[in-house]
Amino acid sequence: MAEEQYPEKWGMVIDQDICTGCQACVTACSMENNIPFTGEEEVAYGRGMHWLRIQRYWEGEYPEVSPTHTPMMCQQCGHAPCEPVCPVFATVHSESESINLQVYNRCIGTRYCANNCPYIARSFNWFDYEVPAPMNYYLNPSVTVRRRGVMEKCTFCVQRIYAGQETAKKEGRALRDGDVVPACAQACPVDAIIFGDLTDPNSRVSQAARSERGYTQLEELGTAPRVTYLKGGGTYGG
Amino acid sequence: MNKPLPLWMRPWVRITFAVVVLIFLGAAAGGLYLTQTVPEQPIQFPHNFHVGSGIPCMYCHPGAQWGPTAGLPTTQKCLGCHQQVEKRTPEIEKLLNYAANGQSIPWVPVAIQPDFVQFNHRPHVAAGVECATCHGDLTKMTVAEPQRGQNMGWCLECHQKQGPEKWERLSDCALCHY
Amino acid sequence: MSEIISRRNFLKLAGLGATAAVLTGCGPAARYVTRNPYYDMPEYTQTGLSTYFATTCRECPAGCGLIMRTFEGRAIKAEGNPAHPVNGGKLCSRGLTGVQGLYNPDRFKSAVQRPQRGDPAVEPVEWDAALQVVKDALNGPAGEVAFLLGLNQDHLADLVTQLAETIGAPAPLRYGALGMFEGRATLVKAAEQVFGQAVFPYFDIAGADLVVSFGANFLEAWLSPVAYSRAYGRFRRAEPLKKRGYLVSFEARRSLTSGSADEWYPVVPGSEGLLAAALGKLLSESSGFSAVMDYAAVDVQAACAAAGIEPEKLEALAQLIARAERPLFLPGGNALGHADGLAAAVNILALNAGRGNFGVPGGVYLTTSPAGTATLTDLRGLVDRMRTGQVSTLFIHGCNPVFELPPTLGFTQALANVKTVVSFASFPDETALQADYVLPDHTPLEGWGYQYTLAGVDRPVLSGAQPVVVPLYETRATADMLLSAGKLPYKDEVEFIQSVLEDKVGQPDANISGTDLPSLWAKYLQAGGWWLAAPSLSAPEKNFADGASTAQPQAAGSGQFHLMTYPTLFGDGSGANRPWLQETPDPATTVMWNSWVEINPKTAEELGLHDDDIVKVRSEAGEVEAVVYLYPAIRPDTVAIPFGQGHTALGRWAERRGCNPAELLKVTMNEAGDLAFGDTLVTITPTGKRRPIARAESRVGVYGDH
Repeated sequence: MAEEQYPEKWGMVIDQDICTGCQACVTACSMENNIPFTGEEEVAYGRGMHWLRIQRYWEGEYPEVSPTHTPMMCQQCGHAPCEPVCPVFATVHSESESINLQVYNRCIGTRYCANNCPYIARSFNWFDYEVPAPMNYYLNPSVTVRRRGVMEKCTFCVQRIYAGQETAKKEGRALRDGDVVPACAQACPVDAIIFGDLTDPNSRVSQAARSERGYTQLEELGTAPRVTYLKGGGTYGG
Repeated sequence: MNKPLPLWMRPWVRITFAVVVLIFLGAAAGGLYLTQTVPEQPIQFPHNFHVGSGIPCMYCHPGAQWGPTAGLPTTQKCLGCHQQVEKRTPEIEKLLNYAANGQSIPWVPVAIQPDFVQFNHRPHVAAGVECATCHGDLTKMTVAEPQRGQNMGWCLECHQKQGPEKWERLSDCALCHY
Repeated sequence: MSEIISRRNFLKLAGLGATAAVLTGCGPAARYVTRNPYYDMPEYTQTGLSTYFATTCRECPAGCGLIMRTFEGRAIKAEGNPAHPVNGGKLCSRGLTGVQGLYNPDRFKSAVQRPQRGDPAVEPVEWDAALQVVKDALNGPAGEVAFLLGLNQDHLADLVTQLAETIGAPAPLRYGALGMFEGRATLVKAAEQVFGQAVFPYFDIAGADLVVSFGANFLEAWLSPVAYSRAYGRFRRAEPLKKRGYLVSFEARRSLTSGSADEWYPVVPGSEGLLAAALGKLLSESSGFSAVMDYAAVDVQAACAAAGIEPEKLEALAQLIARAERPLFLPGGNALGHADGLAAAVNILALNAGRGNFGVPGGVYLTTSPAGTATLTDLRGLVDRMRTGQVSTLFIHGCNPVFELPPTLGFTQALANVKTVVSFASFPDETALQADYVLPDHTPLEGWGYQYTLAGVDRPVLSGAQPVVVPLYETRATADMLLSAGKLPYKDEVEFIQSVLEDKVGQPDANISGTDLPSLWAKYLQAGGWWLAAPSLSAPEKNFADGASTAQPQAAGSGQFHLMTYPTLFGDGSGANRPWLQETPDPATTVMWNSWVEINPKTAEELGLHDDDIVKVRSEAGEVEAVVYLYPAIRPDTVAIPFGQGHTALGRWAERRGCNPAELLKVTMNEAGDLAFGDTLVTITPTGKRRPIARAESRVGVYGDH
């Protein structure tokens, strides 16, 4: 039912049993997507611009205390709470790619979408953060440099989705599994992040998403997230 | 006078307001006009002559066939022909000066989109869109001139003509904005 | 006012604002920018498309392969080289921010001379004059020249070794904080004792089904973290016919690695070797374990008591190990950085030997690349020579000893007696601040080179490095500077690198092959290095001392705490000037842009401390002020301070943040000559001051304080 209502396409699986919480994905995301660094004051105030963060929760009491790591980013909901509240249609759903979009040039900064996001996945440009020359040389030309007053969030590296589709088209072939890899999955040293096309039942991501350990975040809200998490933990031999 | 005029009805307020509005509107109109002017180019490059003599656009702007940007020719590329061609005009003299000093020519591109638009030439060229459709008839221009009304409506108008089966993809915001 | 501005008027005013925006934002100045196309476009570029170069990440000694995305002559993003045997396309945060080093605005932009040591003011100096300084030193009395290099096993290390040999100068010392906090010299020494070869062992984590880590933080910093993380990913993933790997960790605090462990035992720092002996004793009573050591002297109960672990748990673990098909035991830095660190390393290697783990899948192999890591004893020798005026010229490259070494070693004071200090640093770090000349080398992404991979790969690798962008500033390759003295028969850096590659010409079984040097060189640059096509390591001899060492951990007196110091994403501290590395949260604490002292909440309660309180941490050697972070997963008798912050130089993003725990370390060595940093005991004194630190986790308390 949900499938018919909210057609899915791109999806991600994060294996929490393998994720070590090393933060390589966080840095990779920031370097790929021209995310500005804000400095200690701003980031302490909760104005850090990370599109992807790793939620580290402690469970238990010393000495049985143990952390779980949940990489959290925009879940690219099929039924997204951010979309209906945007007064200017800057937060819209992509019909063809089935992801949530943030159209920077439309955004007027009401922050309604961030307020409505149950995953707290959106970050807002409170200021124009300076990247002193020549550090601006490394800015990725495939991603817009956002300015003050604009909301932003994980895009599933949509620039790489289009680049992958372009390359496939240029070579006159269909898109293959693994042609599109977002920056986080590319960097992940333990390969805990799998990305791909959910409409293809044989893709790595579809197979991984069918795992019995799979669950989605805040499932009960009915947001139809596109990111499946695989529960961690186990015993020897398990 | 038992009752003073409300502030907004007093003549001096209204006149000041009108003057300010006029100044702003005038300046805005001027600003808009300036955006439509042709910028100063380092060399008064005669597109009409080059296109007229049968040189394909993609000889100098080859990027259009394989990637996002068409690109501007390097000094060496100009020189490829102009080493053989007689230097007839002061403009060619300028080119040779750049070449002699090993400098690149500081061209000012006029067919530009804002930073938040991710335009890619290749699919358009592959779909058979003529250069002149967007860049105007270069046989009638010397230096390239900015074309009027290249806004999103203009893009979408053409995208819409590609048929309903392509419309879903061609009207997707993320196609150009990311 | 509010009633005067009606809705209509508000809209009018808003319209005015919009007009102003049109005026300022869309004028011709904003609309048109000048483009400078290439004068002559390089053949390998295509207008509008990215160009990719294969090179090597030289941020740490691991030697991961990079594919750098460049666009119109600018380095855009570091991506892993999928074909590289070390990282297989993966990268860590440190490597990903490499471009922030290349484009760091605080870099040295030309050769400079410092009129007054310690004074940031510098004067530019002509490269010819600078060259003369280098030439004079190399042509002078050879015994009075000293080279101090970083830990990277690269072409420069080889070149300087050759140079020193030729002119008769003492061999270069290669030292760095990463090696210090991982007890690398101790590990190599242990390998020498057991295997008869002074090289790094390689641990095949991917092939094991049970890994017992004795303080090895191999997912964050230990030896080759990306390689071992990749291996861990394969180890942990359950597949048809493959069990899910099970990780057990002994460490006083739950580090990134212990955080991923299925079982974590917070043991007293320094008791790891003793526990290995106790495990050996328990295992030797089980089948499938042939003891290579005499465990008769080991008292399991006493060992458990000294380590702070219940004997039942250790027995259960021994049973688990006995059941496991391929258990692997890792001797990490926290086990080795103690007075009895060498014995601990041997004890842990003996466990591997007992399970027949040498040279088999899921076991221990020996790498082939030269280790050549100096010990702190070697370094003390250099400091003594400096102090007594036996060194007239000191060349420093790739390390920052003023920051990294414990101040009690007296390196900074000894520098005063060195006539000329020449630094090749790219950034104004603490050591460059004490140098008379700074002759900046190209940054790694601008220069040539090769690097032997450290210890994270199952085959010999010569990882290749090439410039991905033209040098940004007036910098010169250090190798070229040293070669210009004419002591070695190479024209330049590239010729030297090619001379090393010459041995590989015509060699089969490698990823690339070539019948002559030019063809091999071209393939080497394209592939990002040379390596054997198949795993080829072995582990030949083994030789163990008769009895297992039962050295006891140091006991903390009342009011005293064990101090744990551990390297983080910043590596040897040189990563602190990368703003995105600063803003990447610490994996365990989520703190950004600062350092902290981890204290167990129970201990903090006893001391009356809260999050963000500033305390004085005092040891025999010195004291620092640090901000308290209540860390639930650390022993109550231990506190921990990460290494890497607390810079007094190194540019705008690194300076004046946090504290440098090296100031607390007293200079005591273990038997291998490595620093016994784990034996530091400290006291904690509240100062009554507070400083909220930035963290990504719950922000309660921080909002109010700002």
